[in-house]
Amino acid sequence: MAGRVAIVGYAQSHHQHDIQMTREDMVFEVAKGALRNAGISREDVDTVITASTDFLDGRTISNLYTSMAVGAYLKDESKVEEDGAFAAYYALMRILSGVHDIALVEAHTQGSVVNPHLVSSYTLDPLFERQYGFLNDISAAALQARMYMNKYGVSEEQVAMVAVKNLMNAADNLNAHRKMPDVTVEEVLNSKLYYDPIRELTMSPVSDGACAIVLASEEKAKEITDIPVWIEGVGSCQDGYLRDRSLYKLDSLQKAAQDAYGMAGVSNPFAQIDVFEVSEKYAHEELMIYEALGLCREGKGKTLIEKGMTGKDGEIPVNPSGGALGADPICATGLIRVVEAAKQIRGEANGYQIPAYRALAHGQFGICAQKNVVFILGSE
Amino acid sequence: MSSQSEIVLTKVPVPLVAGFQWSVGELMEKFIKALADRKIWGVKCPECGYVYVPPRWRCGKCYAKLGEENLTELSGKGILLSYATAYVELDGAGSFKDLSEPKPIGAIKLEGADSTLFMPLGEVKPEELKEGMKVEVVWREEPKGELADIKYFKPAKR
Ligand SMILES: [Zn+2]
Repeated sequence: MAGRVAIVGYAQSHHQHDIQMTREDMVFEVAKGALRNAGISREDVDTVITASTDFLDGRTISNLYTSMAVGAYLKDESKVEEDGAFAAYYALMRILSGVHDIALVEAHTQGSVVNPHLVSSYTLDPLFERQYGFLNDISAAALQARMYMNKYGVSEEQVAMVAVKNLMNAADNLNAHRKMPDVTVEEVLNSKLYYDPIRELTMSPVSDGACAIVLASEEKAKEITDIPVWIEGVGSCQDGYLRDRSLYKLDSLQKAAQDAYGMAGVSNPFAQIDVFEVSEKYAHEELMIYEALGLCREGKGKTLIEKGMTGKDGEIPVNPSGGALGADPICATGLIRVVEAAKQIRGEANGYQIPAYRALAHGQFGICAQKNVVFILGSE
Repeated sequence: MSSQSEIVLTKVPVPLVAGFQWSVGELMEKFIKALADRKIWGVKCPECGYVYVPPRWRCGKCYAKLGEENLTELSGKGILLSYATAYVELDGAGSFKDLSEPKPIGAIKLEGADSTLFMPLGEVKPEELKEGMKVEVVWREEPKGELADIKYFKPAKR
């Protein structure tokens, strides 16, 4: 990369509905919290990038109203639709441009205000799939899951093991929403069926939450903090529309990961990355993510979960925070992964700390993870 | 001072209602109208050979422009790439409601096409669904040249 950029501060909410918090209160808390965590003030911030989705917000150009809550008053400000991890990518580029030194990135969704699965159906082709009415993110994920499971002989038990791992991990994470320290494979497999094979406990919960980070140029980062978390590599990729892509694998994630690995000089992610925080909106997706990230061969994700290799004590821990199955405030979920990865590197993952010098964070958006972004973070 | 659990704040309903009307474009117009004759049109990219259904005026894979001359008729038969069974449906107001009877849905590749069609399945029990199963379109009794002319897909007769 041309210059170096570091994460120098972060904050996130407790990702569950709190009737006492308006959206602007929630945004203010994390934005102010990230600045406090970085030890800087609003005046130090050059540019503010937010991420949310207008339809999930129930408002058009929704940043017009949240701009003051996020601290963007009379500042350079821009909004990214979709996940905050894409906003972090955008903020990184704005700093690399040399125009800005310090960026504040904020993302949020309140799933409690409208059913986000209904909103997912609005992303479909209005001239075709939407007209038939049955397709949404869950039913499409069910078709994806079944296709993947049939192709590689993955059992429902193996998929449920991902949910068990993440829901148990979430129990140790103060910020997580769905914590199930004693959950079993049987309990997962007996949870309510939505679209077979997707069940209540193999899909992410509907959460309210927000997250913010502060990014700084190398010079500023060294002034601001003794523990900068450097962005060593980044990659982002968009796949084709649902009709015209392979559903049983995540091509765009694979490409994004390769770009990020190339930039970070990672040739063997299994050996060179200590911990992974990924946005698995469905349990089966995490297995597909292992494969797209090159942690195993195509179709072998099931072996990693079965052997416990991605557990907290495994060789390649994935989602020690509980991941998206533990909390999914949609547009914040990928940015939360970035924060969780940064916490691991700073040694601040209380209760689920993994010894980590290098971490990977993944964000996604769109039905069946159409679009993906990958960050490689490191301490040096 | 009251405890937090006693505090109940007001929620205000905030509707976001708007009706949109889109033009379907010329090739989609032909696709929809041809349904009246029980025909399914796809479009074949002259550059890379990918067959889109429903037809589109551009190829996103190789970025070529397609046209009416690239339309190709598809048979209405295909294979089941994947299947799922709906136990719930969105009620349109933002809630899920349980279905009285589970409904199977499918991801289908039509003979000669590359795109995946997502369609309801009928005349089949969820437990009979198999990947690679041959399926065929079931038309509405009197097709009118509307998307609803395609009722569902069912297992093909041998
Ligand atoms: Zn083409």
